[in-house]
Amino acid sequence: MTAPASTSVLPPPRKGAWLIPLARRLGAAPRPLGRVLTTTVTVFLLASLLTFALGALSEANPAAAVLGDLATPADIARMEAQFGLDRPLYAQYLSWLSHAIGGDLGVSWFTGVPVADSVAEALPVDLSIAGLALLLAVFIGGGAGIAAALNNGGRIDRTVTLICSVLATLPPFLIGIVLIVVFAVQLGALPTGGYIPIGENPGQWLRYAILPAFALSLDAAASLARQLRTSLVGALRENYVTGAQMRGFSARRVLFGHVLRNAAGPALSVLGMSVPLILGGAVVTEKIFNLPGIAQLSLQSAEQHDIPVIQGTLLVTICVVLVANIAVNAALAALNPAARRPAGTRTGAGDVTASSGEGGTR
Amino acid sequence: MRTLRRAWRLRSARIALAVLALVALLAVAGGALAPHDPLAQHPADMLQGPSGRHPFGTDYLGRDVLSRLLAGTGLSVAGAIEAVGSAMLLGIVPGIASVWLGRTVEWTAQRAADTLMIMPFTVFAIAVVGALGNGMHQAMLALGVLFAPLYFRVTRAAALGLKQAQYVEAAELMGASRRWILRTHVWSKVLPTVAVTTAQAVGQALLVVASLTFLGLGVQPPAPTWGGMLASDLGYLAQQPWAPLIPGVAIMITVGALNILADAIRDSSGGQEQASPAEAPLPALSPPAAVGSALAPVVAPKEVEDRVTTG
Amino acid sequence: MSQPAESAKAAPRTAVLTVEGLDVTVGPGVRAVREVSFTLERGEAVGLVGESGSGKSLTCRSVLGVLAAGCEIPAGRITLGGSAGEQDDLTTFTRTQWDAVRGKRVGAVFQDPASFLNPSLTVGRQLSEQLRVGSGLPRSDARSRAVELFTAVGLHRPDEVYHQYPYELSGGMLQRVLIAIAVSCAPELLIADEATTALDVVIQAEILELLNRLRTEQGLALLLVTHDLAVVAESCDRILVMYAGEIVEDGPTAEVLATPAHPYTEALLRVASIGAWERRDLEIIPGRPPETGAELPGCRFADRCAYAAQQCTAGPVALHALGDHRRARCLRPAGLLDEQVKEEAHA
Repeated sequence: MTAPASTSVLPPPRKGAWLIPLARRLGAAPRPLGRVLTTTVTVFLLASLLTFALGALSEANPAAAVLGDLATPADIARMEAQFGLDRPLYAQYLSWLSHAIGGDLGVSWFTGVPVADSVAEALPVDLSIAGLALLLAVFIGGGAGIAAALNNGGRIDRTVTLICSVLATLPPFLIGIVLIVVFAVQLGALPTGGYIPIGENPGQWLRYAILPAFALSLDAAASLARQLRTSLVGALRENYVTGAQMRGFSARRVLFGHVLRNAAGPALSVLGMSVPLILGGAVVTEKIFNLPGIAQLSLQSAEQHDIPVIQGTLLVTICVVLVANIAVNAALAALNPAARRPAGTRTGAGDVTASSGEGGTR
Repeated sequence: MRTLRRAWRLRSARIALAVLALVALLAVAGGALAPHDPLAQHPADMLQGPSGRHPFGTDYLGRDVLSRLLAGTGLSVAGAIEAVGSAMLLGIVPGIASVWLGRTVEWTAQRAADTLMIMPFTVFAIAVVGALGNGMHQAMLALGVLFAPLYFRVTRAAALGLKQAQYVEAAELMGASRRWILRTHVWSKVLPTVAVTTAQAVGQALLVVASLTFLGLGVQPPAPTWGGMLASDLGYLAQQPWAPLIPGVAIMITVGALNILADAIRDSSGGQEQASPAEAPLPALSPPAAVGSALAPVVAPKEVEDRVTTG
Repeated sequence: MSQPAESAKAAPRTAVLTVEGLDVTVGPGVRAVREVSFTLERGEAVGLVGESGSGKSLTCRSVLGVLAAGCEIPAGRITLGGSAGEQDDLTTFTRTQWDAVRGKRVGAVFQDPASFLNPSLTVGRQLSEQLRVGSGLPRSDARSRAVELFTAVGLHRPDEVYHQYPYELSGGMLQRVLIAIAVSCAPELLIADEATTALDVVIQAEILELLNRLRTEQGLALLLVTHDLAVVAESCDRILVMYAGEIVEDGPTAEVLATPAHPYTEALLRVASIGAWERRDLEIIPGRPPETGAELPGCRFADRCAYAAQQCTAGPVALHALGDHRRARCLRPAGLLDEQVKEEAHA
């Protein structure tokens, strides 16, 4: 094995040469789904480790949490044994993780209610509101982005850009407050807060959900509009747009069937990245609109230092983000065949947009 | 350095810096400038509108809103700076290490960055505060951890660039030009990128700090913060619908100034050159694309835009 | 030479495309195309030749209604007079009117075929979309017709090609795909703008052969835009030479090649070493063309012309007829000049 090493003419470049393609490969998006799944699993494991570590680093213990200052060392030892906290950390982690994967997130130190049950009760609130917010973001942001791109440099374009810049400087919950003031307090048209499950009464659900969802959506809508505008302006200059025009395709067919398909990639990535933002923003929105969601659950458990609930809510939120990410990557792959090219033939992340036709055969 | 000087020549950058200087002054001396004691309650003066005595009115305990706004600047800004400072520490070291300490370290560091980028800010901060205790430092450490991937990526891209430059130089250039390459690289690329990242991160951190203090995380109730003021206004919207605008506008102006400054620096450095040539300069579409990033919208969409328009 | 000429004679003499007095500006007052007039007849192949910047691409983009932003048509008429015989000025068309013409009555092929195809759709899907939009075929019929067309344009394994993306095909294959799309709705006119320029010689010849075969089979008129005289010499009935925005010569290919009437054509032939000229050392034309849109009092080629006289720069030179079917924009038509004058000029 020594011979090849010593005959190598330029050791330093060779040694580092892998870095560049590797970096490029890691940096190329969208990735093939297989690799996305591997990364997702790794990230899930790391995130679960971090979540577990929070509990392990905490000085909170069930006896102190429940009994407060009255807890005697004997109480503490008894309850730690009851919750399995006397075992070595790795054993605790492994059993916590394996149970979590099986859907068992442990029980609350306080109420003894299974965490999974509390989460299952709270999660639909967030999912329905966040889902609606995402939908609104797609329509508002998509519409604004398309309008701005078609009006490149005109009044609509400048207005959209201005609104997007202003939105980027606002705390998202401020918009929620303004919405309450306008629609609930001043106009009295909608409730100031509260929630009715969608399964119970979809119409009422919408009345309660629309304001928080709208408040949540604006941030994502602004990012989406900015990105879509830029990609579209670039894509509209491409030859294949002229090509489609010359084939007698209507303006609408060219825009939705051809241009948008190529310009949507980066916008979709932005949308994917706004999922954690929307979920994070949902916490504050829930507080403002008094929604019984997962954030209220985690806020309450944080006040009580109820570690299993804290860990459970965090882990579930992470899973939601990861699932959303897989969905975004699948959509990206479906949109853009260049992603299915074997790694290495790609010219780089720039391929996401229209230029991908250029790389393959030439 | 030239980039920063060029940015200084833009009027927008100078206005933004003036605003930020004012905010910094208020952060340091806001409490002293306050006309009233921000904590003093005057039940007789509850929820008053603006007047000569209380230019911004009073809150539900009769406290002077202007004084609370001035006194709250310090905590809000200090929080954001603490978060970004810890992010720098936590991001820069692994960023450099990931380039020079071999594949394992690199892979681990990248996956860790991926992991942190999917964490929703507030949910994670709540968990950290719940587990480690409700204090400003715990909350800001949580934020710092989540902001770290930003600096990780910037540092890593810069380090990769340097490494490449070294090879170029080792193969064909003299020792004298090595210093030149390093200097050009650091001054013209790394520094502006770090400046842009920091301006944006501080702006974003201010927004998140506002969210957290709004939720009552990180600060104990009577202490004034911008987010906390918004929370207390929420209960009295029927009486004072305009009240949230006061802290809201304070946040907006500060964050807006930071964003404008970031844009000015970016524009002067010529957009797409910021990141290293080796790593796709796209936090938005690159590694976190596998697992979207909580942070990316802070920086990335603009970068995507830059690339698309220039490329 | 004889085969295309015969097919042109066999077809009835109906104009497919008529361009009259076309001006195109590429900015305020910058006329890049000046008073261009020509006619294409059914089944005819016409070569539009000129160096880059001569306005040939602008001319054909005008015919397709896809001028870039900032370009305008201040004067001129473009009409398609097909089998139905209707006459309409394309320069006044709205988007909806264009949609009824493009792809259906006029097809087009360009240089760099990869960039003219949507990178994220399979080529088969792009062809069947054309068939559905242009000919109103239902999805399944469009599919089978697409495979037929791929076979017709000489693509091997058309079924496989149908499912491939543009980046998976070579330049020559992509050009065939584009041709299949362009002729799929049986247009009367096919415009090929530098369609063979980027291809290597063998593939270039195959593509030209394909275009000519389609022309004969479908009876379509072909406007072949190129800077390469050799391409025109091989495949066109008639030749149009453009210089600095103007048509300087128009006539049957064989005649123009044998006896060029305009000194620019003559010079081009000499450079290309084809036509009636014995092979000689490669020459270049001295000087360079006037700036785009430059307003000159007289002949735009006068500066570089070996035969230029005082009268050439005195006033505008019209494109006048020379005999039955030839036109030239020259006061002292080179090919018809006295041998003596030529010798003087060379001496």
